[in-house]
Amino acid sequence: MAKSKNAVGRRGFLKNAAASAAGAAALVTSTPLAEAQSTAQGSRGSATPAAPPPTEQQIARDSGNVRPPAVEVRKNTRPGSDLQIQVLRDLGIEFAAANPGSSFEAFQESVINYGNPPNVMPEWITALHEESAVTMAHGYAKAEGKPMLAALHGTIGIQHAAMSIYQAYYDRVPIVMVAGNDADFIPAHTARDMASMVRSFTKWDAEPKTVEESLVALQRAYNEAITPPMGPTLVVLTSEVQKENSPNLQIPRYQPPAFPTIDSSTARDIAKNLLAAQNPRINVGRLRTPEGVKRSVELAELVGACTSTTATQGPMSFPQRHPLCGPGADTKYDYSLGLEAPGAQVAINGPGLAKVAEERDVTHIDFKGVKTPSNFGRGGGRVEKPALPIEADAEASLPLIIDEVKRQMTSDQKARIQERAAKHAKANHDAHVAALEQAVEQKKAGWNASPVSTARIYAELWPLIMNEDWCFASPSGFSGSHNAQLWEHNKPYSYLGGQGAGGMGYGAPACVGAALAAKARGRMVINIQTDGDLNYAPGVLWTAVHHKLPMLSVMHNNRAWHQEYMFVEYMAGVRGRGPERATIGNVLRDPFIDYTKMAAGYGMAGEGPISDPTKLQAALRRGIASVKRGEPYMIDVITQPR
Amino acid sequence: MAKHLFVFVALAVGLNAQAPTSPVTGNAANGKTLYYDYGCYACHGYSGETGIRPFVGRWGHLGNEQEFLTFLRGRVNVAPVTPSGAMPNFSVEVLPDKKAKDIYAYIRTFKSSAPDVKDIPALSAIVNAAKQEKQ
Repeated sequence: MAKSKNAVGRRGFLKNAAASAAGAAALVTSTPLAEAQSTAQGSRGSATPAAPPPTEQQIARDSGNVRPPAVEVRKNTRPGSDLQIQVLRDLGIEFAAANPGSSFEAFQESVINYGNPPNVMPEWITALHEESAVTMAHGYAKAEGKPMLAALHGTIGIQHAAMSIYQAYYDRVPIVMVAGNDADFIPAHTARDMASMVRSFTKWDAEPKTVEESLVALQRAYNEAITPPMGPTLVVLTSEVQKENSPNLQIPRYQPPAFPTIDSSTARDIAKNLLAAQNPRINVGRLRTPEGVKRSVELAELVGACTSTTATQGPMSFPQRHPLCGPGADTKYDYSLGLEAPGAQVAINGPGLAKVAEERDVTHIDFKGVKTPSNFGRGGGRVEKPALPIEADAEASLPLIIDEVKRQMTSDQKARIQERAAKHAKANHDAHVAALEQAVEQKKAGWNASPVSTARIYAELWPLIMNEDWCFASPSGFSGSHNAQLWEHNKPYSYLGGQGAGGMGYGAPACVGAALAAKARGRMVINIQTDGDLNYAPGVLWTAVHHKLPMLSVMHNNRAWHQEYMFVEYMAGVRGRGPERATIGNVLRDPFIDYTKMAAGYGMAGEGPISDPTKLQAALRRGIASVKRGEPYMIDVITQPR
Repeated sequence: MAKHLFVFVALAVGLNAQAPTSPVTGNAANGKTLYYDYGCYACHGYSGETGIRPFVGRWGHLGNEQEFLTFLRGRVNVAPVTPSGAMPNFSVEVLPDKKAKDIYAYIRTFKSSAPDVKDIPALSAIVNAAKQEKQ
């Protein structure tokens, strides 16, 4: 890269520093004070019996009234990184998570010192591993529906983060990442095209050549991240564009992205059909942001449609206990609309990863899960013959439909809708209670068993948090998904769902990311933490303590990777060999891991191990009290295997 | 795939809530050790009440000793090579009849540890809260 005349690389900085030091030394040797000292030393041992009277300079020195010699102050008044942080601030980026790296020290210095107040929007979050930093951003994005930033150090930081980036890509989660590139420092940490290492599973990347370009690149990285298909984006920032003084550069005007919507005629038709239907249905999948959830509620209420939700499986869907959520009073629907979900008549689904994969996967790795599955549009609801989806963003299309519904609705329709909605509300309430009564009969199995049943963890926890503002941020699949039947998921962030690509090492850092969002909003984060998952990068517990995050971790400590244990058992059976040795490589014994001590090592309060189920509830109460004080807490529970 | 397997297993074993009363010839104490050594607990829980396929409450192919043996051996013909969470095959070479009967004897000692829901405050609280919510 060609350096501009104002560029300040590491070599240039060291050279200048050495010159400044030499200059300062020269100044010292020419001062009157030095001359006086020389005179005094030179007179020692001479025949002169008495020392001369002190000079003014000596008096000044002895009285502590010495001023340092004048040196030239570096005139880097507006470094590029200050402007880059201002761009992020303007975009509403709340946090920047990073493990320290000697390629983005200028960027980091700007985060922590630039602005008034400094280190706010974004606030620097200390991560102990780049994989954790990106997964924190993953959890945050799922809770808030918007990106935070992760900073990565050169080639090694990007590779440390690669799995998390891959997982966020699969999960279609918006994350903005920057990677420092200091070509003058450690050669092994730099590369000609760093972003190529993760290009196949990021949505967009750039390596700007000037400060101005870097500002535009950050704005575009944000826009690309939040438009469907959402995904992680990466901007490589060289030392030069971080450090270059840019006193006269203006921040480019931000242009919000355009989201693909249905056209006005389609909106008219959908509104007309929803209003004409005797029993319309709206299937709501995973929308982008809380605003989309709000809009879906508004539409359902306007037309009195009963709805389905994916809120028990992941974030940003219809509130589970909204009166209209459920099968409704009549399950023969004559018109159904899918919003990021299948629909019998119309389905609006944003573009999938396949849309960008061809362009991005230039090395033809061909990740199979990126392709649109053959059964796309057929899952997530009982839809007999799903309509071919319209490729548009459902959330961005909702205002168009709502406006049309409001425009077309007659007073007669309004009265009929209110009557229908009341019937749905009663039916949905009854259906929920009936399902719950059935569920608790199943969940009580093994209630008093030791080790503790996974269902009991969920059942004991729910009454303690049901009146709190909570976010369940860890995946629940390996611990039984009991929340789906026992808890109520009424907020866009109630449950953040699975890992995305099934990659382990996700739970704790995703919870920390969700807890970053939760702290400022008065929520608490629940982490039902599988043991194998935590051991990938447990240092994230320290981050939770250091930043005083409201996170309750309850260990699902079954001391094994039981799914893999079962697979190996199965394979031994297929081959006619016994399963007695299937534990090899699949269990966490000899020794058992003490998670309370692990947490304590990172400064986190906690208790356990608990294998007596009768001791669980009191421990949970203590944990919640601790979290409410701003101190994350860990309860180690020895559990049944699954 | 896991969901399909679960449905398959559920259909294959059938559901019945009554605990079997057929004769038991094995040694339950030996069976307890074997239950762990052979990894039965991984899917069926330490006490047969939990996991992806609990026994208690739906005994399925555990109706009697012979049925259990037949089920264990029969798996070899239905088990695909693809790794799965389905019940493994246990041939007579790796799990002789005597050991299998000991395991069966131990399984038959399993009983529900769960009180009625009305006697479990947490579960009652969950149901009551749901009932009281405004419609």
